[in-house]
Amino acid sequence: MAEQPRKHFGRFIVVALASALFVSVTSAQTWLDFKRPAPTAADWAALAKLPDFTGVWEEPLGGGATSLVIPPGAAKPTAQKTASTSKFPTFPMRQPLPLTPDWAAKVQLLRAHAGEDTTAANCLPPGMPEIMGQPYPYEFLLTPGQVTIVGEAYMIVRHIYTDGRPLPEDPDPTFFGTSVGHWEGNTLVAESIGFSPQTTIAPDVPHSDKMKIIERFSLTDPDTMSIETTVIDPVALTHPYVTTRILKRHPNWTIDEYICEQNNRNSVTSDGKAEVDTTPPPPSGPDPNSK
Amino acid sequence: MKQVKANLKQTVLFVVLLGALTATPGTAVAHHGFADYDMTRHETIVGKVRAFQWTNPHTWLWLDVPNDKGGFTLYAFEGMSPNYLGRRGWSRTSLQPGDKITVNFFPFKDPAKKGGTLASATKDNGEILNNFVPPGAK
Repeated sequence: MAEQPRKHFGRFIVVALASALFVSVTSAQTWLDFKRPAPTAADWAALAKLPDFTGVWEEPLGGGATSLVIPPGAAKPTAQKTASTSKFPTFPMRQPLPLTPDWAAKVQLLRAHAGEDTTAANCLPPGMPEIMGQPYPYEFLLTPGQVTIVGEAYMIVRHIYTDGRPLPEDPDPTFFGTSVGHWEGNTLVAESIGFSPQTTIAPDVPHSDKMKIIERFSLTDPDTMSIETTVIDPVALTHPYVTTRILKRHPNWTIDEYICEQNNRNSVTSDGKAEVDTTPPPPSGPDPNSK
Repeated sequence: MKQVKANLKQTVLFVVLLGALTATPGTAVAHHGFADYDMTRHETIVGKVRAFQWTNPHTWLWLDVPNDKGGFTLYAFEGMSPNYLGRRGWSRTSLQPGDKITVNFFPFKDPAKKGGTLASATKDNGEILNNFVPPGAK
């Protein structure tokens, strides 16, 4: 009996040494000092062997509930109304978020004091994961060591580094997080951490600083992309929350300009009041309807 | 009667799409919510186009609607973006000043404000321009 702790300690030393050796071999470079080698002709040629994600993709019906697929084993979708007092219109939810009790209380409090709109009305883009659920298309660009996603709404760009660099230890929190990815067969697996507290999992549902998002991008047929998104947040959620979006390729589309500040007549004040400016433009010529 | 049926169909489609745009976790409301509009009311009005802005993040339409004083009352309607509508049968020249159109809309909650969120615009030649439709459809 007395031997047990020492034996365990010995095992611990072996594991620790092995881990240290593994880390020093595989992750010699950190996020900050990682230097990507210049791509070779072979690197460019290797892209042709990957699934063809290139081009412009959009969720049918402009994104949202209709294209959500419930993962196997998950609770059956219910046609319940949202049980919240959110100021957003209530519609059937496919699956309630599995909030921890502490977080459910927090969300309830936030919803009780929720503004009439989000800061997106002021042209501030939503962050992850909401930015991937916009009723606008996305373009995928594959280059050696990197997948770039261009989102038309708010003209956003996400960089997913597939060159083997490790995630940073403690990245600055940002709207879309910091992402690395790797290929598992024909599936791109992206892992993202480091999200700004200004972003939410869903309207009025904040995340903790422990949120991690895993996205699995794959083609289910040549013109259909599946994006399975797993939100892991041990503080906010009792278990990982999985949704799947189905996007269709639109070969005849291009990504258009979207300058939200061009003519934004909507706004939300700091105390949450939504406003809209309906002032007509000044006349540009003779009155079209004078008689 | 045909018009009423078409309106009803559009309203149902609109509500389905609105649900899709707003309800799901991870799915953000498109640019803004609908706090300024009464989405439970659906109105139809006829008038002449005063101005049409083909701009982001939203298109805007102003309509001169004849009033009982022999003049016009100005109505304002918010529509989806040119990016969204441009892929669904609209163009920047779809509505021209002076065009006579019928507009289906969800009115402003504020009674002092005339107009609302656009559901559809029907031109004199029968062409229907929907504000919320699947891509490629009209």
